[in-house]
Amino acid sequence: MEPEKFYYDNKIVKQFALATIIWGVVALLYGLFAAFHIFLPNWGMHLEYFTFGRIRPIHTNAAIFAFVGNGIFTAVYYSMQRLLKTRMYSDLLSKIHLWGWQLIIVAAAITLSLGITISKEYAELEWPIDIAITVIWVIFGINMFGTLLKRRVSHIYVAIWFYIATWVTIAVLHIVNSFELPVSLFKSYPLFAGVQDALVQWWYGHNAVAFFLTTPYLGLMYYFIPKAANRPIYSYRLSIIHFWALIFLYIWAGPHHLLYSALPEWVQSLGIVFSIMLIAPSWGGMINGLLTLRGAWDKVREDPVLKLYVVAVTCYGMSTFEGPMMSLKWVNAISHFTDWTIGHVHIGVLGWNGFLTFGMLYWLIPRIFNTKLYSTKLANTHFWIATLGILFYAIPLYFAGITQASMWKQFTPEGFLVYPNFLETVTQILPMYHIRAFGGSLYYTGVLLWVYNLYKTMKAGSLVANEEAEAVPLPVQEKKSTSEGWHRFLERKPLLFLTASLIVILIGGMVEIIPTYFIKSNVPTIESVKPYTPLELLGRDVYVSEGCYNCHSQMIRPFRSETERYGEYSKGGEAVYNHPFQYGSKRTGPDLAREGVKSGKLYKPDSWHYNHMIDPQKINDKSIMPPYPWLAKKDINMRLTPKKIRVMQTLGVPYPEGYDKIANDDLMKQAKKISDGLSDEGIDVEPTRQIVALIAYLQRLGTDIIVDK
Amino acid sequence: MATNDENTKNLHQAQEPEYDEITHERLLSDHEYDGIRELDNDLPPWWKYLFYISIVFAIVFILVYHVFESADLQVVLYEKEMAAAAAKYKRTDPSAVAASLTVLTDDESLADGKITYDKICSVCHAKNGEGLIGPNFTDEYWIHGGTIQDMYKIVITGVLDKGMISYKDQLSPKKIQNVLSYIISLEGTNPPNPKAPQGDRWVNGEKVAE
Repeated sequence: MEPEKFYYDNKIVKQFALATIIWGVVALLYGLFAAFHIFLPNWGMHLEYFTFGRIRPIHTNAAIFAFVGNGIFTAVYYSMQRLLKTRMYSDLLSKIHLWGWQLIIVAAAITLSLGITISKEYAELEWPIDIAITVIWVIFGINMFGTLLKRRVSHIYVAIWFYIATWVTIAVLHIVNSFELPVSLFKSYPLFAGVQDALVQWWYGHNAVAFFLTTPYLGLMYYFIPKAANRPIYSYRLSIIHFWALIFLYIWAGPHHLLYSALPEWVQSLGIVFSIMLIAPSWGGMINGLLTLRGAWDKVREDPVLKLYVVAVTCYGMSTFEGPMMSLKWVNAISHFTDWTIGHVHIGVLGWNGFLTFGMLYWLIPRIFNTKLYSTKLANTHFWIATLGILFYAIPLYFAGITQASMWKQFTPEGFLVYPNFLETVTQILPMYHIRAFGGSLYYTGVLLWVYNLYKTMKAGSLVANEEAEAVPLPVQEKKSTSEGWHRFLERKPLLFLTASLIVILIGGMVEIIPTYFIKSNVPTIESVKPYTPLELLGRDVYVSEGCYNCHSQMIRPFRSETERYGEYSKGGEAVYNHPFQYGSKRTGPDLAREGVKSGKLYKPDSWHYNHMIDPQKINDKSIMPPYPWLAKKDINMRLTPKKIRVMQTLGVPYPEGYDKIANDDLMKQAKKISDGLSDEGIDVEPTRQIVALIAYLQRLGTDIIVDK
Repeated sequence: MATNDENTKNLHQAQEPEYDEITHERLLSDHEYDGIRELDNDLPPWWKYLFYISIVFAIVFILVYHVFESADLQVVLYEKEMAAAAAKYKRTDPSAVAASLTVLTDDESLADGKITYDKICSVCHAKNGEGLIGPNFTDEYWIHGGTIQDMYKIVITGVLDKGMISYKDQLSPKKIQNVLSYIISLEGTNPPNPKAPQGDRWVNGEKVAE
């Protein structure tokens, strides 16, 4: 057959690359803000848009979906065309995908700044944006599979296996974790509550790491490392085994985010053992990456691109070993809720995702601009600064995490907590936060060098928007021949490949989630647990909106060191009306699960909460909590109360029939009582202010199962 | 410009095996994607054994915890931990020592009292005892009585309605004695921004009628 002439679309690659660069600068800047803000609580100029609780979700969402997300699309659009010897299926779909995704990011940044969030980590966006993500993801899928179907290469390469698994799994995760009932355009409540909501969220959250930060970047690695090194892939057999093992096992590991929580223990144990079984499949990727460089190590010394790749793959190997270790319950008892976790994820994102992205664009931009990299020396400098940045970032956080965890657990010889005041354990690790911010600044400096270098490169060359190529059209595909291995057969059937991946990734989630949802014994009912009062419900919405869960957990683990500090450990049955759950994942401040228990360890009167919220440093000058003065100025939205009650009823919360009509009366009664009480303490605040509702919610926390004498 | 001759290669496959020129390992003949070749290497044995070991670990873990139930799950472990602590720290009723408490004035006790005060009490009674959410400690007025015994009782039982919690599980009697001695020593220090006096006036451990 005669070769056909066609053109690769490099313009779309350039556009996704630019988006990667721009959002990288923004995402990391927000990370830097957060790193400084954590020890400079008044940094935010007392503006609600700049508190840690709002900055952190913007940082994580931007880093994952804007920076890495666009990185994925750059890699997919560049490598798929070349691996399949065809232009993308549709230029129009490419364009809609590009601009749709950027609009989603802008919408995310705006809504999160305004406190519009459903509070599920890395899935904070409200329902209209969730729908937009689904639509754009489907468009991306059509474009991808359209390209696969019109390919001129019989078999699909391992990079594309990973792209396919990414696409299908992210679709499933996003849709299931976004089941929510709207109250208004900007507010919804998730379908699941409490333990079940937590399980679905961390099934999603963990696999966002797996299928957004890992599998597509393994695909990227499988294309860009052998291209840059000009070496063959170490082992095709290893590719097959580690690919299928990885996607099958990963999906089960989510519950390791909920060890020692109220999640049924059999689910926790599955989370642990599947995390351990993930070590080898993850390392399969690392081995195939590093051993592909055999014979090219002399080039690594000179070429910054290869250097970046080597550190990236090494960081991948480290964090995929560390992750399973942290999933062991004995280690998790120490690492969970501390900065250790923050250190761990940053080895992954800064090292693995960051360095692969840097390397990919150093390699790819000169190629599509038909020029050479502006400065190899600058790229080498970038490499060293960024490597140091990672070390200065992560090592202090490991120290901080272990130090703080041991302070939480330490008892005096008489059996009292040595550090009963949580703040002491924070003050102790502040120097580590300073060093972390320095590490982050180093890394950020590297990013700026990267941007400058790429900018100069682009200026020196000119984009080859349509790159000419030639290939023989694909002959009619034959049926499976006897000599063809089953996997080889699968490699030329992309839709079958898609189906197989889907089946493989569905198993783990279904085994864990379905019984937890449908078998009652998994979340034992507690009679005394009642729905929130309307005021508490609206106060809870304020708590969610301000992102309090970013620093305060609501999950007391069954350890003596925790029950001595916070009170009775948390039970699954206590959270059955919590749409969404608020267990949290990090304790920058103390756990609040029993905050409202008067006979408890942490109880504070309403006036304390008021003063503390307005000016935390007035209560304790070492506090690192940012002030929330606007809570005393802004009103709750009572117009939505009836609708909120009705939505909760639909979700199964047993408010009496017709309660929506009188909910606001009850709300005002309770709010007046609180504001009258505050007024006795010399604090004048309107009962409709957000702070009153928030106080009502805080005073309710943990009281359902504790009877105050 | 890229070309693709993979398909033609498939058709006219030379059965002669190809080898990588550096490692001399066998290349898979019909595997070429945009110039990327793949080697026919086997799985590294150590990797395979690592994988097997992790699977064995997983099976054993599940068997131990959930099939034979031969290791304790978290709630049982917690109950054991609490029982062990209860046996180890046989706490006497802290109110038993109340009557014999005296106000200490030595530097060491007061310094220790100040440490406790700064950690715990200052959160409501303010940094220098001037009062904020809780009452002022630097004046002569006391709501619940001005003797160290009265104050000790408040620390042990709390005043729950006012937000003063019980500290009997967080502070030993000795620590409480030290911090109360420190608090008593604050009287007359006149810090800035004092909270207005509350309760009755006490002088030298005696209530003074006004």
